[in-house]
Amino acid sequence: MDGVRSWAGFVADNVDGVLERSLEHLTLVAGVMVAATLFSVVLGIVLMDRPVARQAALGAAGVLLTIPSLALFAVFIPLVGIGNRPAQIALFLYAILPILRNTVTGLGSVDEAVVESARGMGMGPLQQLLRVRVPLAWPVVMAGVRVSTQLVTGIAAIAVLVGGGGLGAYIQRGLTSLGNPFSIERVWTGTVFIILLALVLDLVLGLIGRRTTSPGIR
Amino acid sequence: MTATATASDPATGGPRDRWSPRDDLGLVVTPFVLLAVLAAYLTWLGAQDLPQQAASAITGDKLLTQTREQITITALSTLGVLVIAIPLGIALTRPWGKRFAGPALAVANAGQSIPAFGLLVIALAVLGRVFGRAQDNILQNTIGEALGPGLVISVFALILFAILPILRNTMVGLQQVDPDVIEAGLGMGMTRREVLWRIELPLAVPVMLAGVRTALVINVGMATLAFLIGGGGLGVAIRSGIQLAQNVVVVTGGVLTALLALSVDWVGAVAERILRPKGL
Repeated sequence: MDGVRSWAGFVADNVDGVLERSLEHLTLVAGVMVAATLFSVVLGIVLMDRPVARQAALGAAGVLLTIPSLALFAVFIPLVGIGNRPAQIALFLYAILPILRNTVTGLGSVDEAVVESARGMGMGPLQQLLRVRVPLAWPVVMAGVRVSTQLVTGIAAIAVLVGGGGLGAYIQRGLTSLGNPFSIERVWTGTVFIILLALVLDLVLGLIGRRTTSPGIR
Repeated sequence: MTATATASDPATGGPRDRWSPRDDLGLVVTPFVLLAVLAAYLTWLGAQDLPQQAASAITGDKLLTQTREQITITALSTLGVLVIAIPLGIALTRPWGKRFAGPALAVANAGQSIPAFGLLVIALAVLGRVFGRAQDNILQNTIGEALGPGLVISVFALILFAILPILRNTMVGLQQVDPDVIEAGLGMGMTRREVLWRIELPLAVPVMLAGVRTALVINVGMATLAFLIGGGGLGVAIRSGIQLAQNVVVVTGGVLTALLALSVDWVGAVAERILRPKGL
């Protein structure tokens, strides 16, 4: 209990810093997620009718996930310098797989009869895609975006190790000052606020998902 | 939507429809491909004219020790997490455990974003004290002595890190088994236990293992952070690479870890092949 109280005290004394780091973390994650969602959905659509390329892309995205995050963050340093840049690129690469996989699955599970009727109603290929396929696949795509966001929010803690910002800074400061006053409080602050941020993002994405899902399949 | 989201859940990997002979061939070929990639990379590395610093950061001895540490961390945490999370997931889907299933799933979902970095440092702070305190405690003398306290603490942290996703996938896998099939089993006079072993678990295997494999692969990657708390492993090479600004060193640590992760994934695929019922 003492531990909790001293942690709450630490957070209360450092509200400004915590908010600032949270905002940094949020900005990092949000930017990455917007880019990764656009990229993966477009890629998923492009690969819709190309099974071989689709398998190759999914395989490649799967292999990306096996590369340790620290190494993936680090290899981009010589190209883009230290700071948030290498973190953004690495997180972007991690974010692709869940969204791409769900886009492909979602688009693939659209009933062909429905697409057929759209064609029968005189819709062109683009209209079939944008007004029938994508809206029907959308809930599955959004499920992928949510999973991806959780993953990225957690891994973004490591950004600090390559000179980036975000809540990982508290964990890092705590680690380097372990044994000194407020070190463990710092670590908890970073960890807890990352989880909280992920929960908030998940709620927001849930709402966005509901709002952007066609009323017919809600 | 729930049904589709589960069937194609990216965290669970999404089960493939059917097992084909081509997948079998893939299982046989994979280890050779991984070995070939390893051999090719090491050959390439040997032919590089590296600066003195870089070369001394990745001598054969160092890499061997780090790889061994990485494998130890990976193997112990994988074993630990499987032994804890799978029985727990089964228990939470039994009739008597079901009322805890909702809360447990909520926690497991929220836990997906827990940063491994934070967990490692917390484990160090908490367990480090335990290690430091008593001279004659078992942890210190036997386990700590054999493996090094940093490594043991890393294993604990990584077990905690992977428990939630694996618990979640075990539960999701068991929950998506058609209740009618379970009903049919009970109607045929099977006991609850028989239904679990002969119907539920086999039918849950594809979804369960797909998710478990993804979680384990991420876990191998996170094990590279063990160096932060003195646990060693290939993260040491990656860190040296960052400090020396030598990408070759970073990539070497990364490639070896990725190959290890792919091997773990392969073991998972083999397990899936063996455990998956023939009818599917």
